Amino acid sequence: MRRLFILLGFWAILRPAQASIDDAIASALSAIDQYVKQGYIVRDDEWGGDLGLREQKAIPHTLFKGNDYWFCIGSDVENARVAIHLYDSRGKLAESESWQRGRFAGARVLPVGTGTYYIIVEVTGSPKERTTWAMVYAYK
Amino acid sequence: MTKHLGRFIFAATSFLLAVSGFGEAPANHIDLSKFPATQLDDIVVPLPSEVFNVLDKLGTPNWQEQLRNPTVKNRGEREQIALLLGSVVAEGFVAVEAADKARVKQIGRDVLELARAIGVESTVLARTNSIVTKADSGDWIFVRRELDGALTDVKNAMIQLKDAQLAHLVSLGGWLRGTEVLTAVVQKSYSSDAADLLNQPDLLRYFQERLAGMPPRMRNNPLVNRMQKGLEEISPLINQKLTPGSVRRINEITGQMVKAINSRA
Repeated sequence: MRRLFILLGFWAILRPAQASIDDAIASALSAIDQYVKQGYIVRDDEWGGDLGLREQKAIPHTLFKGNDYWFCIGSDVENARVAIHLYDSRGKLAESESWQRGRFAGARVLPVGTGTYYIIVEVTGSPKERTTWAMVYAYK
Repeated sequence: MTKHLGRFIFAATSFLLAVSGFGEAPANHIDLSKFPATQLDDIVVPLPSEVFNVLDKLGTPNWQEQLRNPTVKNRGEREQIALLLGSVVAEGFVAVEAADKARVKQIGRDVLELARAIGVESTVLARTNSIVTKADSGDWIFVRRELDGALTDVKNAMIQLKDAQLAHLVSLGGWLRGTEVLTAVVQKSYSSDAADLLNQPDLLRYFQERLAGMPPRMRNNPLVNRMQKGLEEISPLINQKLTPGSVRRINEITGQMVKAINSRA
């Protein structure tokens, strides 16, 4: 019985964190959904974590010239603002368009060359100290 | 009062930015060298379909000619199975390009057999069933998606089983067979645009670092050791301007590495 209480205690501690990242993933997927209708294929994988206000995370990725990519970020925190932008290996802004709507944001890149690009995600506003985010991408 | 005012300003700013659809304009240039390592993620390993998607646009190579017949019965240690699993999934993409239904179905069954051999069968069962079914109906887009999904599911299952090292080997096996095919196709009708697809030095470095960081037991495995040596040979070729000669050499090296995976050498 005691063991059950301990397990329930752990579950209570862990569950909100899991729910939060799952909700952030759901937000990111809802942001990218519009591109599925345009023929983009969403990679069945996601990247995420939590960031403080104005804190950035860089995710390097090999992108191929000839593909057309959309990267989207979402957060589960109401009233949060997130941003996503893409830079090439020299640190030059590489995206062809981007948008930002509250806790959702997206950036499109048509690589001019194959190589490493940096996806920079950032929490630009949030009522919380740490904001959970998730990123997904699609290509065609 | 001040607290309420602060909240009001935050909410009003959020609302205005949300409605407008524009955030702050991004910097045109950033200094990546000043990015703290703690805020730098591991490189994302692209899916085989991202490469094949581009190859589709490069013309119509003779894919049947590129098809190989990996022998999944010739299995050894877990390291070899993981490398073989990755290369077999990549072979699946070649079979899809060749629209070879029988081969795609066989690859679906091979993926399941290899996944079973390393204890992650249940994670790919639905995917491999879909591969077999959809190959019959020639739904190649769906088959590609399921092959990508199978690769991701296997790797995630391995990470959950605290076998991340094996997951890296699966990725490496896929990358090697994909690179062998890519270089073969580029060689047939060389263009700098096509050769540019091999500009993946950071990805290569990532694999080298993953192998170097493996526990000695794995690093000393003869096949893993062979992979390390092969990557060392490829590294200078990928880190310089690609020429028809270097593309041919990368094709030879990756071809030998894939053969070693198949023969457990």
